[in-house]
Amino acid sequence: MTALFEATGLTKRYGGLTAVANVDMALGKGDLVGLIGPNGAGKTTCFNLITGADAPTSGTIRFRGEDVTGARDFQMARRGVARTFQNIRLWKEMDVLDNVRAVCHAPEACGFASAVLRLPRFRRAERAVTAKAKALLERLGLGDVLAESPADLPYGDQRRLEIARALALDPELLLLDEPAAGMNPTEKARLMETVRRLREEFKLTILLIDHDMKFVMGICERIYVLDHGERIAHGTPDEIRCDPKVIEAYLGSEC
Amino acid sequence: MSSELLFWLNLLVGVGIYTLLAASLNLINGSAGMFHLGHHGFWALGAYGATWMTLQGGSLSGPVVYVSSLIFAMAIAALGGLSIGIPCLRLRGDYLAIATLGFGEIVRIAVQNSPHDFLGGSLGIQVPRVLMKVTPKTLVAFRVLTLSIVAVACAAAIVTFRNYLRSMPGRRLLAVAQDETAAGLLGINPTRSKVLAFVMGSAVAGLAGGLYAHYMGGINPLNFNFMEMVKIFLIIVLGGMGSLSGCAVGAFLVVATEQLLNRAPEAIASWWQVLFPLILAIMIIFRPQGIFGRREIRDVWRSWRRRTA
Repeated sequence: MTALFEATGLTKRYGGLTAVANVDMALGKGDLVGLIGPNGAGKTTCFNLITGADAPTSGTIRFRGEDVTGARDFQMARRGVARTFQNIRLWKEMDVLDNVRAVCHAPEACGFASAVLRLPRFRRAERAVTAKAKALLERLGLGDVLAESPADLPYGDQRRLEIARALALDPELLLLDEPAAGMNPTEKARLMETVRRLREEFKLTILLIDHDMKFVMGICERIYVLDHGERIAHGTPDEIRCDPKVIEAYLGSEC
Repeated sequence: MSSELLFWLNLLVGVGIYTLLAASLNLINGSAGMFHLGHHGFWALGAYGATWMTLQGGSLSGPVVYVSSLIFAMAIAALGGLSIGIPCLRLRGDYLAIATLGFGEIVRIAVQNSPHDFLGGSLGIQVPRVLMKVTPKTLVAFRVLTLSIVAVACAAAIVTFRNYLRSMPGRRLLAVAQDETAAGLLGINPTRSKVLAFVMGSAVAGLAGGLYAHYMGGINPLNFNFMEMVKIFLIIVLGGMGSLSGCAVGAFLVVATEQLLNRAPEAIASWWQVLFPLILAIMIIFRPQGIFGRREIRDVWRSWRRRTA
């Protein structure tokens, strides 16, 4: 089986600092994979390289069998790579519905002229996009707050709005950057449930970063471990838990 | 009586032209969040473009020349917007402000140094009257006609901007303005959104230039100096960045203040140059969101009714 996503020899240098060094990674369709490591290990840089926010110094990235190394961020997003952010980045001056509608694509594109003249084409596109955005928000339990400002939502809802917004791209690969950060155990349990459910419903492949080992080990089928930009381990949660290198670099001797 | 009427007609035409300038600057500065300080350059491009086109008009009928010169004014300003937009829009904040300010001044200085038989150079240039004959007798009619045309242009521009902002490409632009990084990672091409807003804004400034040239009957480079940019900027700060109705209200306040001061004795009249930057400073300190903020007249009216109900 060919991988949905494949990175080979991925490297990023900033001046003399090597943030990501020669990392190989492969995700098959439907995988739910974790990316862990101590602070400054290069996890977020990895996300930036995968999403095209940053161009790798060397190495190649293939997505759906195509070489997409060096593609820009919006091009990767349109190909089906969506992400959420470590520090929430919602558009605060737009309401909840518009945050999702800004990302949705209509089945038929609506150009400048039809938007300004409010032609039937515009109305059709607008209806389609609104329906899609509302459906997504409802699935994430945000159906009652469409007209609110995202800044007024509780923290957990803001995180879920970010996921709804990412799903509006119809992604195949979803990257979650510390989705459980700042959540209490109940919220984390609910989030685990949501992530699992979304993977089924939207046929997603998910790669996530988190520092909560219970969360990561509880949900991921495979885990990559980074330290100083290098991949030091890769395996199932059980293998990772007992890997001496990982214990030394990150987990401490809890096993 | 007639002179009083003429005064107010002149004032309202001014309000209309500055509303166009402010609404288009507002699209760029307020909605798209780009700090652009060269709007007087696009205004000048439009005014000189329309003048040049009118001079080429020859034996064509007046209204045809008038309309085609306005279209040409928009096109040339849009082209100017595109040609400086693409290289400059990678810049952010202050750097963009400096680059666009430079552009505005280049346009004015280039015209100032142009040959007399081309754009009139520093002495300015006459714009042939093509809309109708303008004599002391027909002055009222001319101003009423111009006012109606300007009002239609304002309405068209405001409806265009409003509809644009409430559509998919408009929402993408607002997303880019608020968080460009997030927008890019969510499939929005930030450069495309910003260039489009910049080109739309400059085209409408060009239209304002064309209307202005035909109304004045003669223009010179000093009509488009940096003080004009300050005035347009003051209007959007007063009205509220991001509010289209704010532009009309702000334009009225600023133009009326200026024109009424102009009637006062010389010693007082020249104080507007001090007054405007002062109002600008006071607004930014005490009410940076402007009179309307991001709201429109309709929102203000609704919330007022709710409170009094």
